[in-house]
Amino acid sequence: MIGKKDQRTVAIVWVIGIIVVWELMAFLLKNVVHDPMAATKLPYPHVVATTFMENWRMLLEAGAVTFSRAAIGFVLGTSVGILLAVFMSLSKTMERIAFPYLIISQMIPVLGLAPIIFNIVRDMNVSRIVIAAYITFFPVAVNMLSGLKSVEQEKKDLLFSIAANKFKVYQKLMFPFAMSYLFTGLKIAAPMAVTASILVDMLGSKSGIGVKILYALYSDSANIFWASVLTSAFMGIISFYIVIFAERLCLPWQNAVPGKEGVRA
Amino acid sequence: MTVPEIQIKNISMVYPVNNGEDIVALTDVNFDIQEGEFISLLGPSGCGKTTLLRIIADLLQPTSGSVSIRGQSPRDIRMQQKYGIVFQSPVLYDWRTVRRNICMPMEIMGIPKKERTARITRMLELVGLQDFGYKYPFELSGGMQQRVGIARALALDPEFLLMDEPFSALDEFTREKLNEDLLNIWSKTKKTVIFVTHNIPESVFLSDRVVVLSPHPGRISAIVDIDLPRPRKNSIRETSEFYDYVTKIRRSFEGV
Repeated sequence: MIGKKDQRTVAIVWVIGIIVVWELMAFLLKNVVHDPMAATKLPYPHVVATTFMENWRMLLEAGAVTFSRAAIGFVLGTSVGILLAVFMSLSKTMERIAFPYLIISQMIPVLGLAPIIFNIVRDMNVSRIVIAAYITFFPVAVNMLSGLKSVEQEKKDLLFSIAANKFKVYQKLMFPFAMSYLFTGLKIAAPMAVTASILVDMLGSKSGIGVKILYALYSDSANIFWASVLTSAFMGIISFYIVIFAERLCLPWQNAVPGKEGVRA
Repeated sequence: MTVPEIQIKNISMVYPVNNGEDIVALTDVNFDIQEGEFISLLGPSGCGKTTLLRIIADLLQPTSGSVSIRGQSPRDIRMQQKYGIVFQSPVLYDWRTVRRNICMPMEIMGIPKKERTARITRMLELVGLQDFGYKYPFELSGGMQQRVGIARALALDPEFLLMDEPFSALDEFTREKLNEDLLNIWSKTKKTVIFVTHNIPESVFLSDRVVVLSPHPGRISAIVDIDLPRPRKNSIRETSEFYDYVTKIRRSFEGV
């Protein structure tokens, strides 16, 4: 086991290591290989950082547009996923009917689905939300269902023996038990919802971080491009840590119980 | 002779097995339990003692035969929330503290909050866990967790306390201590207790009567009255009367 202090050291070494290697590669590309496209292929990290600082307002605004839609879609998709999981856990028949559709739904590439959705709703914001929700619901439903199905029989027997009704069983046992599984699903879904929202940006939106990436790519402003990509990456990471934070808050007993994880979708 | 509180009549239980011979867990089990009696169901694994307890608790339906409790079915009694069950494992909810674990069944039974709090405090004292009320289950030892399970069942003040090998996972010292504690608690409440165990001295120490079950198929091989004086302390285990009962029950196994 490594302690908290060691963990921090590891993280700092990693960050510094990546920056140093990046800086070195950029130097090699520009001054040793003499690549004329060096600034586009791999600009110096400190240049990207400066661009980020200079344009932080614009990047933040664009990021906020994309992120907020992703968040709404994420919440929507989570609700749908939980509802589906509850229905499937209530009846075996329901599970058998619904599950193949769930699997098929994940075989349609989002890249193809997004224009279809846009064509139907004709609204960028709604498209972003729908696609983010569409991406989210599957890992949430699968993990939640797996949680609901993993409740030990004796825990159910205890409630049965005092004649608890179905509602109480879900309220007191099934939902709290499935929480850690749900959060596993949420951790998978959150960065995916952000990615989906960025993808929809690129389909011809007027705002959002995806638009910045696209414009920068076409207008040869490599530094803005890299700064936008970095912003996108941060958005994904932040979404993940928001879920982790929420988990800590909601499941205080989890922190000390090692090795309790749901299935990966 | 008063009418027995629980009448177990011709209970048989067969577990159907695909591609194989069905497992006969119990055949033709008959006995009565008096009100306020402490009964042990004793036998080796596979004798159907847990099955029998689960049938009485309405957690299982027998293949044939019937259980009548005060003239009602186990289901009626269950729906009236008159059972308190202690399982083989503590069956605690990880996301609830000790206090809230004990509280949970009372919430479902709709006991008012003030009463719940009072009972929890009383029960924690009873099982000696007053300093652990705000801990989570994973912070407790196995013996402590099992005591929480017992406190949770007792807090309901059940008319029928059903215990399924509650101490089998504990070491000998903890087990004997909890045996004595259980008798103390029982002597105050005088509820009917059905106690499943595979430990002969434990059954002798606790019970008014020991129902000895033998396996394959599960059936009653003897019912032994234990006429040891109460209240019983652990020192009674050193007396020759106690030893005689243990021997008598052990012989009844060798006889089959």
